[in-house]
Amino acid sequence: MNLIAQTVADGLVLGGIYALAAVGFSLIFGVLHVINLSHGIIVLMGAYLALIFSETLHIDPLLTMPLVMASLFAVGYVYQRFLIQYAVDSSAFGSILLTFGVALMMHNIMIWVFSPDMKNITPTYAFTSVKLGPIVLDAVRVSCLVASLVLLSCLAALLKFSPLGRVIRATAQQTLAARLCGVNVRHVYALTFGVSAAFAGAAGIVIGIILPFSPADEATWTLNAFVVVVLGGVGSPAGALIGGLLLGVVSTLTAQYIGPSFPNVTMFLLLVLLLLVRPQGLLGNAFAPSR
Amino acid sequence: MTQRPALFVAIILAAAVVLAALPLVLPPFYVRVGQLMIYSAGLAVAWTILGGFAGYASFGNAAFIGVGAFAAGLVEERFAGLPTPLLLPLGLVVGGLACAILSAAVAYPILRLRGTFFAIAMLGVCHVCAELNNNLDVLQGSLGLNFPSITPAGWDPATFFYELYLVAGVIVFLIAWQIQRSRFGAGLLSIREDEDTARMLGVPTERYKRIAFVVSAVLTGLLGVIYAHSLGYITTDSVYRDDTNLNLIVYSLLGGLGTLFGPVIGAFMLVFITQVVLARLLDFHLFATGLLLVVLVLAAPGGVLGFVKSWRLKRRHAAKVPAE
Repeated sequence: MNLIAQTVADGLVLGGIYALAAVGFSLIFGVLHVINLSHGIIVLMGAYLALIFSETLHIDPLLTMPLVMASLFAVGYVYQRFLIQYAVDSSAFGSILLTFGVALMMHNIMIWVFSPDMKNITPTYAFTSVKLGPIVLDAVRVSCLVASLVLLSCLAALLKFSPLGRVIRATAQQTLAARLCGVNVRHVYALTFGVSAAFAGAAGIVIGIILPFSPADEATWTLNAFVVVVLGGVGSPAGALIGGLLLGVVSTLTAQYIGPSFPNVTMFLLLVLLLLVRPQGLLGNAFAPSR
Repeated sequence: MTQRPALFVAIILAAAVVLAALPLVLPPFYVRVGQLMIYSAGLAVAWTILGGFAGYASFGNAAFIGVGAFAAGLVEERFAGLPTPLLLPLGLVVGGLACAILSAAVAYPILRLRGTFFAIAMLGVCHVCAELNNNLDVLQGSLGLNFPSITPAGWDPATFFYELYLVAGVIVFLIAWQIQRSRFGAGLLSIREDEDTARMLGVPTERYKRIAFVVSAVLTGLLGVIYAHSLGYITTDSVYRDDTNLNLIVYSLLGGLGTLFGPVIGAFMLVFITQVVLARLLDFHLFATGLLLVVLVLAAPGGVLGFVKSWRLKRRHAAKVPAE
C-alpha cells in the first residue's frame, strides 16, 4: 500500500513538471496551430540559462526564474515574428519542418557552447527531504512541484482575466473575426510565442534542478509535450495539467510494476487509445478545432 | 507520363541500367553512398504511396523496417541450414508477411485519425514496436541478431547490395507509378484533397486508405529486410530509427510532396549532401541539415519540383503578357 502511495506521489510530482513543460507547446498549438518541434530546445535553453545565471550571480536557481523567463520571452517573440511567421500560412508541414530545422541547428549550437555532456543544477537544499506520513518526498521535488503549480495558475489567470489573455483567446477562436475587431494578429502570435517560450524556460529551470540534462534531451521534451497535450486537450493550462499528471503517474506506475524499460510502451499505448476514443483530449478543445 | 506508359517504363529501365553500371566505375566509397541513396529513395517512394498520394503522412514507417528485418532475421536463424540463395527470398516473404499482418491490424484504428494526429500515432506505433522488440527476450532486440552472408561468391558485397537495392527500388517505384495512374490512385488523391467530399461522392475511402497503408508498409518492410542483410548484424536501435522516420517526410518535402519523382530527388539530394558534402564536417552536421530545412521552407515550400513548376508558370505568364 505504501509503495503504491509513494509511486503515485512520485508520479504526481513528475507529472506537475511534465505539465509545466508542455503548457507552452499547448498554447502555441492552440493559438497558432503550429506544432513547435523546437519546444524542447527552449526548455533546455531555460535550464542552461538558469545554470549560467545561478553560477554567475550566486543565487538560488529558482530565483533566476524572472530573468530566464524575461529573456526567453524576448527570444520567443523575435523567433515567431521574424522566422515562424513566414511559415505559419504556407502549409501545415512548413512550420513543422521549419521548427525542426531550428531545433537541429540549436541542438548543434548547444553542443558547441555547452559540450554534449550531462549537466545539472544543484541547489543548497539538494539533499533534504519532506515526510508526509509514510511518503517521503525530496525538498527539491516539492519546491519544483509548487513552482509548477503556481506558474500554471498564473498562466491560467493571465489567459482568463488579462486583456492580453482575452486577445489571445479571441485570436485562437477566430483569427479573421479578431482581425476585424482591430487585433494585430501577428503581434498576438508573437506575444503568444513569447509567453510560451517563457513558460518553457521556467519548466527548464525546474527540470534542470531535478534531472541531469544534455543537448540530446530536446527531442524527449518535445515528444513529452506532445503526448501531454494530446492526452489533456489542446490550448488550456488545465488540459496540460491533467495530461501531465496522467502521464507522470502512468510512467512511474509502469516503471514500478511492469518494468523500468516499459514506460514508453504504456505511454504510447495510452496515447493511441485516447486518440481513438477521445481525439480532442480529456478536457476537449479549449480553442478552435485543430485538426 | 500517363499517355505513353511503355515509353515511361523504357526510360525508367534505361535509367536503372545506367545506375546499375555505375559501380564498375565508381570508387568504393561512392558505391556505399549510392546504396544509401537508392535505399532511401525506395523508402521514400513507399512512404509516398500513403503519405504523398493520400496525404496521410506517417511519422513511424521505421516500425515496418524493424518488424520486417527482425521477422526475417529470426526465421532465417531457425532455417540456417537452407542453401544460401534461398535465405533472402525466405526472409523477404516472412518480413513482408509480418508487415502486412501488423499494418492490417493497426490500420483500422490508426487510420481514423487525420493529419498531425495520424503522424504522431504512427510514431507511437513505432516506439511501441521498438520497445517490445527490445524488451522481449524472444525477439533478441537488445542482444542483436546476426544475418547470414548472402553475397554470391565472386561478388563484392557493396556492389551486390547496391544492385539488390536498385532492383528493389525500381520495383517499388513502378508499383507506386502504377498506383498513381490507376483508379485507386485517383481515389487516394481525392482523399488527400478532401476526404469527406470524396467519401460522399462514393469513393471507398476507408478501403483505399487501408490498402495504401498495407502496400506502403509491406514495401517498406521488404526494403528493411534487404537493409538488415546489408548490415549483417542488427539491434533494435539500428533499425527502428527516429531519424529514418523524420527523413522520409523530409525527402518528400524536399523533392515535392505528392509527386512520384519528388521523394527520389529529395532522397538523392539529402543523402548526397549529408554523406558527401558534409562528410568531413561531423561537428557541423546537425547545424547544416537544420539550416537546409529552414532555407527550404522559406524559399521553396513546394520542394524542388514545386519550385520548378512555379518558375515555369511564371515564365509562361511572362511570355503571354506582351501578346495580350
